[in-house]
Amino acid sequence: MKLKILVAVALSAVLGLASAQTLTMAMAAQPDTLDPQVTSATAAFQVSKSIYDTLVEVAQDGTIIPALAGTFSASDDGLSYTFNLVATSFHDGTPLDSTDVKATLERIMAEGTASPKRSEFAAITGIDTPDESTVVIHLSQPQPALLASLASGWGAILPSEKLAEGHDFGNAPVGTGAFVFQSWLRDNAITLSANPDYYKGAPQLAEVIIRFVPDPAIQLQGLLTGEFNVADTIAAADRELVESNPALTMVEEPSGLALVAAMNTRRPYLSDPRVRQAINLAVDSITVLEVAYAGGTPIGTFMEAGSPWLPDDIEPYGYDPEQARALLDEAGVPDGWTIDMPLPQPYDAHIQAGQMVQDYLREVGINAEIRIVEWGVWLSDVYGEARAFDITVIGHTGKLDPSGRLDGYGIESENYAGYDDPVTAELIAQGAREPDTAKRVELYGEALHRIHDAAPFIFFGTPARAYAKQTSVEGFWITPLLDSFDFRTATIND
Amino acid sequence: MTRYLFGQVFSLVLTLWVVLTLVFLAVRALPGDAATIMGGIDSSAASIAEMRQALGLAATLGEQYIGFLGDLVKGDMGDSIRERRPVSAVLLDRVPVTLTLAAMAFVISLVFGLGLGLLAGLRPGGFFDKLTTGFATVALSLPEFWFGFILILVFAVQLGWFPVLGLPPTGLSLRSSWHLLLPAVTLAIPRAAQLARLGRARVLEERSSDYVRTARSKGLSAGSVGRHIASNALPGVVPLLALELGGLLTGTIVVEQVFGLPGLGATLLGGISARDYPVVQGVTILAVAIYVGVNWLADVTQLVADPRLRAPT
Repeated sequence: MKLKILVAVALSAVLGLASAQTLTMAMAAQPDTLDPQVTSATAAFQVSKSIYDTLVEVAQDGTIIPALAGTFSASDDGLSYTFNLVATSFHDGTPLDSTDVKATLERIMAEGTASPKRSEFAAITGIDTPDESTVVIHLSQPQPALLASLASGWGAILPSEKLAEGHDFGNAPVGTGAFVFQSWLRDNAITLSANPDYYKGAPQLAEVIIRFVPDPAIQLQGLLTGEFNVADTIAAADRELVESNPALTMVEEPSGLALVAAMNTRRPYLSDPRVRQAINLAVDSITVLEVAYAGGTPIGTFMEAGSPWLPDDIEPYGYDPEQARALLDEAGVPDGWTIDMPLPQPYDAHIQAGQMVQDYLREVGINAEIRIVEWGVWLSDVYGEARAFDITVIGHTGKLDPSGRLDGYGIESENYAGYDDPVTAELIAQGAREPDTAKRVELYGEALHRIHDAAPFIFFGTPARAYAKQTSVEGFWITPLLDSFDFRTATIND
Repeated sequence: MTRYLFGQVFSLVLTLWVVLTLVFLAVRALPGDAATIMGGIDSSAASIAEMRQALGLAATLGEQYIGFLGDLVKGDMGDSIRERRPVSAVLLDRVPVTLTLAAMAFVISLVFGLGLGLLAGLRPGGFFDKLTTGFATVALSLPEFWFGFILILVFAVQLGWFPVLGLPPTGLSLRSSWHLLLPAVTLAIPRAAQLARLGRARVLEERSSDYVRTARSKGLSAGSVGRHIASNALPGVVPLLALELGGLLTGTIVVEQVFGLPGLGATLLGGISARDYPVVQGVTILAVAIYVGVNWLADVTQLVADPRLRAPT
């Protein structure tokens, strides 16, 4: 009997030890703030995902499923949505109820908050809270993208009492999430501990430590020494090293990225669609994808490969320098035409792609002058009022709803390429309001056809997302399209 | 004495004001501001304009300058745009790391660099002399960050004696300061090389002077002669030490990047990238204060070390 008790105690002690797991993740970028309503930085949402929850969330297969709203429904006219909340509490002990949802939404809609995502909630005319666990959102017009916005990181639900106090969520986040914020040592690490009362079941990890490691070489070293369990940035040249090491695993999965070389359609010659089509034909996008981005699936329009919104019949432009030269002659482009290509310094892959584009364009008599500029300068040149560029290379992350990607295209002042086409703009605007999914697919499909023809971008393609982890890590996954980190089912099996 | 102190304070304030104004203008001359950076590529021009307004960046240059100086006089360095908390808190978090790193590097470079140089000079052509010349050439030709990577590769990855990152996630503490040994050595190597060369040169200079010949002819032991030489060589090194400390601070920027250390260097770089004007200005204030303070300390040390300077002229 005594032996049995001894064994039981020893076993539980060992199990107890084994279950006190800490997962350390190395991230290259650092959040600017942990307040989900004042930022648009992917890095911020990658971390805040674990601390907060949203009304609905994105499952591993990309569909939107219930989260804090155990059930939800939309009215037939698409003008109101009803959410029924689950019973759970915030990390400070206050229970979740409908006033929290109302206060959260009112704050992101307030001008004073200056949220970069405010426009996504602009159609909300009223929020009712008939009882503690029911929220009804009323819209001025149908907005099928509302669920996508509510499922995104900026839809995180905050506690109303703390909101009223003016609590600093940016530095001391309080949510309902699977992990409780412990500390943030800037430029060093964020420490999270498990929330044992998490409504979807307590996570198996006891602790998650996110370390900020801007240098991919150091991320790799840390992975090799076991200091990091997961590393989000591995240089393409190091992938083989990871793959050949049995203790490490390289994870490659589809991403929602649309890699493009954007052209400033306001500029001379670039305003002519023939010239833009010629530039598409002059560049071998498949080779650029292979060499600069370690492979990917080519696209023919501004939507990621594999998206259900991408029409099957849009072909990528392909590589045809002869046809390119013919179109350029037709458009009257002089030989040796010089264009300005700023490239963003932090992104080696985009710089490499830009250099390849420069080589291809030289073959058809276009002289692209590359300027590698710091990120802030790039943003200012390309996205600022000056629009000081002819062509550049960048990747656009996936969005849960096509309106997130396409809003503003077709209206010259609302997109950085200056692409102006009222018909396309109208199709996109209608798509944003159309409650019927089949009709939306048609509307966006037509818009994407027009974007293919107008070719405001060189369309490269969609690369795979790649990160490295120790083989013993299981259950960690990255949210499709949103790219946030999900540790809720992660374990380390030694 | 009061006139001297008053002069020092006045000089500090003047330096601070000039440097701050230059930095204030320079950082605002960079294209893009914090709203641009925060907006990224997915925000509309309208929402960026809203953010700019909310952050107080829409004010004119003059208004911002007056506001900044006005707050500074009251001891308020403003709030970090990126971290949304007082700049003083931001700096207070980071200063211990950089100071510990710089102090460790300073001591290492002093002991090894100067020590090596003195030994080299006392026996020209000997083992230490050859070692010093070789070391100095290598150390000054290769880039600092390369040493950093090599040290990490050997001591952290291969031998596993150190962690890869300079600090644990719990931050700096007495126990964790040994983590800083690798970055401190990286930082120390070029300064040690400089000090070694200077120390060696000073000792060689002293060796050929009259008093050494006199001491030897008097029959003084080699050790005593050596001590005389060393104590005469040292004052000439002090001004360089002050400059070296300044060089250490700038060196921390690179080393902190390599080892992922949350110090002032990382803060400054991050502040510039994010166009976080108050943080950049705050680090500048601190840096100027340190430089001026260190130079003042060097002057005082010089006075103490060299009695000849103390004599009234």
